[in-house]
Amino acid sequence: MKQHLGRQSGVQNVEVSLLDGKVDVTPKEDGQIDPVQLLKATYDSGVTAAQMDMTARGKIVKDASGNFALQVEPNRSFAFAPNELSKGLESLAGTQTMVTVRGQLYKKPAGKKKADLSAPLKLVILEVQKKE
Amino acid sequence: MNMKRVALLLLLGSIVVVPVAQAQVKHIEMRVEGMT
Repeated sequence: MKQHLGRQSGVQNVEVSLLDGKVDVTPKEDGQIDPVQLLKATYDSGVTAAQMDMTARGKIVKDASGNFALQVEPNRSFAFAPNELSKGLESLAGTQTMVTVRGQLYKKPAGKKKADLSAPLKLVILEVQKKE
Repeated sequence: MNMKRVALLLLLGSIVVVPVAQAQVKHIEMRVEGMT
């Protein structure tokens, strides 16, 4: 699996802990990494992803349908799953404020072996680390 | 001369600041099942 994930675009380093089933992925400096591709690559390598957390830095934007999202690249943003922390960031939409957050992008639905990755991932913000 | 130095300092400062200020995915952590 380590080689499989390491071949994905934008991945600099992959650390796998067999003991607790933890996989740490360090993106390259250019940040062109696609979490959905990582999840697919994980399944392709024959294991089941139970959860994916991400730390990312970007601007808060509001999309055409009125959802708030964290934009990490001009063409890549992660829509928020609304919670108290995401509501606290809504006022920053459209500003130049950069926000660093840690959040959960994916959690395997209980009782399912394989996830439906066709639906866009929603970012559940767990921690707002920095606003600048 | 002083203006040149100021301009050079500003240029060097922006080179240092821009990469730090970049928006990006900084880290991804996964928990997986079925790994042998």
